[in-house]
Amino acid sequence: MRDRIQEALKHSRADYTEIRIEEKETTRVVFRGRELETANANIDKGGIVRCLIRNKGWGVATFNNLDDLLTKVDQAYQCALVASVPEPVELAEVEPVQQVVTAQMGRDFRDVSLAEKKAVAERYNQIVLGFSDKIIDSQAAYSDSFSRIILANSEGTYIEQEKPAVVVGAFAIARDGDNVQQAHESFASTQGFEYVLDKDELARKAAQKAVELLSAKPVKAGVYPVVIDQMLAGVFIHEAFGHLSEADFVYENPKAREMMTLGRRFGKGILNVFDDGSIPNLRGTTLYDDEGTPARRNWLIRDGVLVGRLHSRQTAAKMGEPASGNARAINYRFAPIVRMTNTAIDNGTTSFEDMIKDIELGIYACDAYGGQTQLENFSFSSGYAYMIRKGQIAEMVKDVILAGNLFTTLDNIDAIGNDFKWLNTGGGCGKGNQYPLPVGMGAPHIRIQNVVIGGE
Amino acid sequence: MDILTHLKSQAEQFEILDLQNETTTIEYEANQLKTCTVAETKGTAVRVIRKGQLGFSASTDPAALEKLAANALESAAYGDPAPFSFADPRPAPIVHTFDRAVADLPIARLVEIGREILDLILPVEPNARCNVSLERSLVSASIRNQKGLDVAFRTSPLSIGVEIDRIEGDDVLILYDQLGTTLWEDDYLGFVRRLVQKLERARTITSIKPGKMPVLFAPTGTLALALPLSEGLNGKEVYKGTSPMRGKVGEKLFDEKITVVDDGTIDGKFASASYDDEGVPHRRNVLIERGVLKGFIYDLKTAAQSGVESTGNASRGGLFAPPQPSFTNFILQPGETPLQEMLAGIDEGILVEDLLGLGQGNILSGAFSNPLALAFKIEKGEIVGRVKDLSIAGNIYDLLKNVAAVSQEAQWVYSTFYAPYVLIEDMMVAGKNQ
Repeated sequence: MRDRIQEALKHSRADYTEIRIEEKETTRVVFRGRELETANANIDKGGIVRCLIRNKGWGVATFNNLDDLLTKVDQAYQCALVASVPEPVELAEVEPVQQVVTAQMGRDFRDVSLAEKKAVAERYNQIVLGFSDKIIDSQAAYSDSFSRIILANSEGTYIEQEKPAVVVGAFAIARDGDNVQQAHESFASTQGFEYVLDKDELARKAAQKAVELLSAKPVKAGVYPVVIDQMLAGVFIHEAFGHLSEADFVYENPKAREMMTLGRRFGKGILNVFDDGSIPNLRGTTLYDDEGTPARRNWLIRDGVLVGRLHSRQTAAKMGEPASGNARAINYRFAPIVRMTNTAIDNGTTSFEDMIKDIELGIYACDAYGGQTQLENFSFSSGYAYMIRKGQIAEMVKDVILAGNLFTTLDNIDAIGNDFKWLNTGGGCGKGNQYPLPVGMGAPHIRIQNVVIGGE
Repeated sequence: MDILTHLKSQAEQFEILDLQNETTTIEYEANQLKTCTVAETKGTAVRVIRKGQLGFSASTDPAALEKLAANALESAAYGDPAPFSFADPRPAPIVHTFDRAVADLPIARLVEIGREILDLILPVEPNARCNVSLERSLVSASIRNQKGLDVAFRTSPLSIGVEIDRIEGDDVLILYDQLGTTLWEDDYLGFVRRLVQKLERARTITSIKPGKMPVLFAPTGTLALALPLSEGLNGKEVYKGTSPMRGKVGEKLFDEKITVVDDGTIDGKFASASYDDEGVPHRRNVLIERGVLKGFIYDLKTAAQSGVESTGNASRGGLFAPPQPSFTNFILQPGETPLQEMLAGIDEGILVEDLLGLGQGNILSGAFSNPLALAFKIEKGEIVGRVKDLSIAGNIYDLLKNVAAVSQEAQWVYSTFYAPYVLIEDMMVAGKNQ
């Protein structure tokens, strides 16, 4: 294969040519209620060629038949010929790499029978269903995928990477009369089948949260000091801030460009935010991105000041900044676009006890249930929450929606916990047509003053 | 190894779908040609029934057929009971869906068509930002099963989607329509001219007092009525017990001006082909005739579950998904009344062109509630200007009991819907702050 790829690259007439070949095996088992809904395995193998003609633009060809790469290179070249960019496309310099990255798994899930995988999902489904007679519906899923990706380009890069992922999730719906509540938990690992076996607690937690929410009162609307847990903080920094750091968004949107000027103060000196695809075994880890740029730690906010952003080679060249290792594609059917890897608020120094002890009346909001962002405005629902009264965690409340302006909110972060945690959840991020892309998120507890909470 | 021989010895029943698809896409973003992509997909999806249970697997790796067969058989060990058998070989209607003139359209010609579209819109509306997507494919499919079914068919779908954003101050107008065809269409700019006409009409802004009034649905607007109908007529929902029309075949549920047909046998239409995705011949299914419910759409599985025959409506959302019942071309039959006459009879009312958030909410119940993206005021039989910040809500199972008129004129919209103008005499129209 390597010879054929290099042969095809050599024949390309484009200014830059890139070939990515992907081979992926996936398995998915889903229980819904008492029924087994899905139990099957698929194989997806294919490739993509991207050609750049500097004064024209990009051309792309995707395919399953890998026999004739020369034709595919020519097709992509023909596509590039019809493009008409307003100004020439440049790519930021990246040192060519030759590297093979193999997966390190304990028990390789490709050697595990579908029966055993089914048993995993079934067990968690039983735990959810059996938790309480208030549980009226459940979903429990097991899924795994193993990808082997070859990336080569006309500058001499040749990288082979293996990417394993195994995910379990449990979803519970509880009902009491007209009151219906739901909760979801998931866990993902890159390290092998055994890592998803001891997750009874996860299924129990989903069921327990759904049932507990039945007796929670809606939060009273108002302005509160709010402490958010690692999960909500991680999702917040990804959604509300991370996407604004993606350079393709910034350079195409004049308003965003003005907003995201490097050097602008984004928060108090305690706030530090980074994106890092190089940390082993996290959900968004990708040692080389889909343009062959090595992953590294990219500081986005340092001591409260905006210091960097996420790039593909094209956006980096366009903005005169270095490529950051964030050009990613969900699979061979797509060209890479600027995406996050593992995004986090860095650890701080405040203990959780110290964070809540002076709060007379506040909210402890946990878990993210969904949200929307529109430029600097965001709105997030927490999965569940508690009141903080006189420095103590008090009763559970529901329907806690945090809404506000990103800049005001970041500036209102006045304490950052010392309990940093990477979240090993199984979800993915969507952008354009590309969903789901595995991403990692991390944060300690953080405290935000003056948060507007909607509600009754 | 021949996968067929292997499966034959391992399972009572099997079905092999081979799918090949070559698609060329040209995309204009904000009036600029942004990307050109050629995508070729080739793969195999297998279903088996072993010990009465259904298994599924798919692969795009031609070297992994053995693994594909093993995956399908393993999947069957945990599959649903399959109360049906794969399709019998049966003669199908001849449906013309392949046209060299489409399949051979050069990239340069697609680029040029995109230009022609922009040249129609931009002189009229220089501030418009247009996203134009032009996609032509060549699809070949073959389906084989243990009964000796061995059918192959090919189609040459061409679709042109146009989205126009016009933002002036706080006023946002977003219009979308799509042409879909499988035979070359000489009037390929007709739908763009209609969009331009809407843009021109939308320049005059007027107002209307919210309340009960006559509401005239344009063909694009009838989607609000058609989507709940298409869900309720789906045999899967009927079998699950979630369709409000369940158990009502033979009953008059709607006004006699309402006739709904599913028809995958019309030459050249986007969802047309000789066979469905299980190898069952497509046919013309009259589902609602003069207001009377005649039947539902089914694939093999839901038909067997319901004790009826497949209506030839199996559809796969790509290679990796098993078949499900789905509409082919959805036809709301034109009526008797000329559009001019319908308009003339309206003293004060609205013409609904486009709605926001179609398909959201519990549409299976028949309910819809949508802000109007584009609506016009009709005053004394004339279309006098655009009205903003209105919304409509209702339930089709009530609204379609009394239809004032259905027009003779009808149009293909969004590729697979054919619809006339539909007038509801007395419908609640809400204003922004109500």
